[in-house]
Parts: sequence; C-alpha cells; structure tokens
Amino acid sequence: MATKNSRTFDFKDIESLEVFMTSHGKIHPAKRTGLRAREQRRLKRAIKYARFLALIPFTS
Amino acid sequence: MTEHKHIYQAMFLLDNEEVRKGFNASRDWVKTTLEKYGIEVKVLRLWGERQLAYPIGSRKRATYLLGWLEASGDAVNEVKRELYLLGPVFRCLFLQEDSIPEEELATGIQEIADSEVVIPEEIEEFEIEEPYEEPEEEQRATDEKPEEGEKKAEGEESAEKTEKPAAEAPAAEAPAADDNSEEVKKDGN
Repeated sequence: MATKNSRTFDFKDIESLEVFMTSHGKIHPAKRTGLRAREQRRLKRAIKYARFLALIPFTS
Repeated sequence: MTEHKHIYQAMFLLDNEEVRKGFNASRDWVKTTLEKYGIEVKVLRLWGERQLAYPIGSRKRATYLLGWLEASGDAVNEVKRELYLLGPVFRCLFLQEDSIPEEELATGIQEIADSEVVIPEEIEEFEIEEPYEEPEEEQRATDEKPEEGEKKAEGEESAEKTEKPAAEAPAAEAPAADDNSEEVKKDGN
C-alpha cells in the first residue's frame, strides 16, 4: 500500500513518466529524480510496463 | 481446493487490421476468451488508438483495450497463451490491483458503434530492401563480350595505371626542385 506521502506511477500516464526519462529513453537515476528507493522502484516498473506495451520507446 | 481470486487490471494491444473489420467483434473475442477460462470481466473499454513507440510486426499503430478483471493466477497464465496464439492481440499485460476504481466500474463493458472507432490508415509501410539487379540490356551486353576483349581491356587498364605514376612522378618532383631553388635563392638573399 502506498503511504500518504509516497508517490505512485501509472504506466498509462506517459507524460508523467517521460519527465523522469532522458530524450534517449533511459530512466534518470534516483539521485536526479529525487525519489525515495521505493518510489524509484515503482517508477522503474511503470516505465517497463509502458515500454512493453509500446507506449514509450526502449531507446531512441 | 478453492482458487483464490484476485483483481487485475489488464491492457490488450489489438491489431488495427482486425479492429478495422469491427471493433465490437474484436472486443467480444477478447471477452469470450477471458470468460472461457473462468475470468470475470468487470470492465472492458477502449483506451485509445495511437501510434506505437516502436513497430510491432510491421504495424506502426494499434488499438488499446483496457479491462478490469477478477481471476485466479492460473487462469491468467492460461488465457495469455491463447490470446497470443489466436486472435488480434499483439501484447497483453495483467497487473494485480487492490480494487477497481469507481470511475472504471461505472463504465462497465463499453458499447461503442464500430463507426465511432476511427482508425487512420498507415501511410508509411516498412519497405523490404530488394537485392539490386542489373537491367536486362546491361546484362546482355556483358554476356556478349568475348573473354579476349576483356583481357585486352584489363591489360590496357593496367598499362595506363603503370604509365600514370611515371607521368606524375616528374610533376611531383618538379615543385620539389622549385622549392629547392627558392631555398637557394633565400639563402642567397
């Protein structure tokens, strides 16, 4: 369960995911995103689901 | 043993060629396939038709179908196999969720007229590069040439090649000589 302050990511919300990605399609590190470890893992998972469904590219 | 059921969010990626024939037919096929494996379909609606981030099976666009289901883990694994083997599904994703959002539940099984689902034509198709073939006239001309003639031609070419460096050599040396003369002049000055 997500706590009150923790952030969740939806694989369908491509615009919010692209904020955390480079122009080449790589995921920014936690150091740059400023997310906590659990949130960074959620982000990673959401991006990978979106990639699988061809919503965002693997690389460009 | 009773199977424990979970709530799943599912996304299906449908082939536009099949959807163009009839969106409702494609959606019903997915629904009946899911129900065949004992999956209870709560919500099944059109999420959108959009361009793919990368081509899948020479398709650049596809239709997305979003569903909320209640199913057991085994049933999900079995239905995935059938969805990929048969029917218009390119990709499918099942994610276990805690509950179904009320907004989604209100949608239920969406009924849309086929005419409402507008699918643009794929203008740019992926072209397969064909191996280069010489035009027939050129091929005939090369076939008709005698072998001796070719040999002669090759001999002439080689002779030209040998002559050229000889001709170029003095030209290359000449500026060097000039340079020397200039240097001498400079020294003289």
